[in-house]
Amino acid sequence: MGNNPTHLPSFLPRVPEFITLHQITKTFPPNVVALDGVSVSFEAGEIHAVVGENGAGKSTLMKVLYGLYRPDRGQILLGNQSVRFHSANDAIAAGVGMVHQEILLIPEYTVWQNVVLGAEPRTRWGTLDVARARGAVQAKIDAFGFNIDPDAPVGELSVAARQKVEILKLLYRDVSVLILDEPTAVLTPLEVPQLFAELRRLRAAGKTILFISHHLDEVLELSDRITVLRRGKKVDTVPAASTSKSELARMMVGRELMFTARRAAQPKGEIILRVEGVYYRDKQGVSRLRDVSLTVRAGEIVGIAGVEGNGQYELVNVLVGLEHAEAGSIFINGHDLTHASILERRRHIAFVAQDRSKLAASVSASVAENAIMTHHRLNEMFARRRWRLDMRQAGAFTEQMRKQFTVAMSRPDQPFRALSGGNQQKVILGRELLLERPFLLLDQPTRGLDVGSTEYVREQIAQQRDAGRAILLISSDLEELFSLTDRIAVMYRGAIVADVPTAQTDLEQVGAWMLQGRNQRTAQSA
Amino acid sequence: MRIVIGLLNGMLAGATPVLLAALGGAFTFYAGVFNIAMEGMLLAGAFCAALGSFFSGSWVIGVLCAIAGALSLSVLFILFAIVLKTDEFVTGIALNLFAAGATTYLLRQLFGVRGAFTDPAIQPMPRLEIPLLAQIPLAGEVLSGQNVMVYGAALAVLVCAWLIFRTPFGLRLRAAGYNAASLESSGVRPARVRIAALLICGVLCGLGGAFLSLGYVRLFAEGMSAGRGWIALAAVILVNGNPWGVALITLVFGLADGLGLLAQGLNVPAQFTGMAPYLATLIALFVYARRKSRARSGSSIQA
Repeated sequence: MGNNPTHLPSFLPRVPEFITLHQITKTFPPNVVALDGVSVSFEAGEIHAVVGENGAGKSTLMKVLYGLYRPDRGQILLGNQSVRFHSANDAIAAGVGMVHQEILLIPEYTVWQNVVLGAEPRTRWGTLDVARARGAVQAKIDAFGFNIDPDAPVGELSVAARQKVEILKLLYRDVSVLILDEPTAVLTPLEVPQLFAELRRLRAAGKTILFISHHLDEVLELSDRITVLRRGKKVDTVPAASTSKSELARMMVGRELMFTARRAAQPKGEIILRVEGVYYRDKQGVSRLRDVSLTVRAGEIVGIAGVEGNGQYELVNVLVGLEHAEAGSIFINGHDLTHASILERRRHIAFVAQDRSKLAASVSASVAENAIMTHHRLNEMFARRRWRLDMRQAGAFTEQMRKQFTVAMSRPDQPFRALSGGNQQKVILGRELLLERPFLLLDQPTRGLDVGSTEYVREQIAQQRDAGRAILLISSDLEELFSLTDRIAVMYRGAIVADVPTAQTDLEQVGAWMLQGRNQRTAQSA
Repeated sequence: MRIVIGLLNGMLAGATPVLLAALGGAFTFYAGVFNIAMEGMLLAGAFCAALGSFFSGSWVIGVLCAIAGALSLSVLFILFAIVLKTDEFVTGIALNLFAAGATTYLLRQLFGVRGAFTDPAIQPMPRLEIPLLAQIPLAGEVLSGQNVMVYGAALAVLVCAWLIFRTPFGLRLRAAGYNAASLESSGVRPARVRIAALLICGVLCGLGGAFLSLGYVRLFAEGMSAGRGWIALAAVILVNGNPWGVALITLVFGLADGLGLLAQGLNVPAQFTGMAPYLATLIALFVYARRKSRARSGSSIQA
């Protein structure tokens, strides 16, 4: 601590310890220690990353700083004055603003309306001073080189642009510290450099940026200093220039991690999934899938890449039977499932849905109830007695799953929502793998999981491939696709614009296809 | 010609209480409160207006009492739905039933009458002669000489549209309905905005209620709001709260009301003519739903 980062523009006054968190402890009832005596200082004009696994306490730390949580012990020093924020308003008034993980904007309002909401300039008669409001927003846009139209309705903006609006909202309120919680989680690979350029411009203007991230590459690229948390304790604060990805990973999990999944060349099996010329329109009549054809062979992992909203969601729905294709056909293992019921399809498909709390599980049901879903109709063990659910057997089944998939849980009748995200995903994955279906459909299986759980899930996927299953993996994490898949198909506006062996392409090329389709890929890469 | 003028006058009189209640409903609609208590607020307003005017001999006091009466229901709504976070729908139903029961009970206790209370001591709201407009040949008979509250309602449309679309309050009001979390993160408490919307709704419903018992007629009758608060709710939902749309819809309702009165003169049974406004509401809903579904299929062709 206290070493001087060299990037600071010389004309800026040096305010070494700008914000200091001193011995912060936060316990959630009954006895979950989220933060245990954490002390960190943030310097003016630095980009400071806070990294750690899920549950390491990084979000809690930021929320304590922002005034959303009250620490049990410890103090926050702003300059050398002890402060305590009671609300987001207090924090903003003191110059600390937060860009939340879920973007909180009003789609019906324009950019400038969203930015000024709550701090509107008024005319002499008390009406909204539209000219002054627009002018102030435009001035911030110009000052920080944000490429955005103040009159655009937010509902029509991309996620990246909405994130800019959130940042603008804080800049309009003249904060000097910006906290960003997983800012890149919602961005496509080509949008990340743009955000980083903007954050660097903010730093050049003297703002302090604190950001939370899972992605160690990004952390290393962007930040000046990095604080690593593990299980509520600070491991260390290190200058980004003098550390490495593997060192950070070791500090985060306390052991070495393997970052490259082993991809053994496999002899090609027979075709398991065959999708032919599928078209689909949504209820509004908008064409969502256009002539989608795809095959997945036994012992093969095929990845689907694409910016969210380009048909991946609809493809999954059409495959599992939540929606019906307008034209085209779907075969699994030679069975024509184009018009089959969901139950019939589930005899052939194991499916890990993207949304854990909505589609993949019922968070208010017990762990055991979640564990036996689908099995209760299709698994011999339960299907024999059709009208009676044998909860004792369900408990035994859950216990078996707990052992096999190392789920950290107390009792089978524990509510599902009490499990951590990683353990929830293990239950869901375990349930689907125990179905032993020839085809595995995985929709964002590692989204929101910490490094350890992510690695576990990826290992399981690789094992399934080695066991000869056909796997279709939809992921927004390109690195995941590159480390696991044998082939990558890129979806763009409802069509598959590229379908290539993973070994014959690279991240930049796939990124370009995702953003522009295949034909215009030479046009530009902003 | 006489018939047309009579019809137009009937339309304005029929539209006024619904319009005022619906403008109130527009505020709560934008604020994201599911407020169905306009019916009860109108009734409480009508009762308190008659009461105030009877005892004071002044229609102004009557109107102030009406506002106080409707506001008391607003305050109850705020206490339950906003402070204690009870269900808005259940709260609204309870308040409507409470208003119906309380006014009937007080009518019998205070005046010892059943059904309706009328007395020469109830001073009605005056009509307003507008000097220049009155000179215009036929239009003058409609535009001038209306009840004070008719002009009040017209003015209320302007004021509400201004408040909702031109002021910082309006920006926050609509934000509370669109995405309360966003408003909260902008440093404004959505509950406060909702409380303001409910209070404004109470004032407007009080004015509408006062027109019922001191303008439309000069008496208070049990259940005299007769579903106008519900029609106001339908109007608000139909046009997504837009005050200009609300004005248009309630004029259509008023026209149906006027036609009903006209038909009564032609020996159509009153039970049928009384249905006219409600039929108009159903027809408006039908037309609106058709237009919306057409707009939807139209947009898909573009896509």
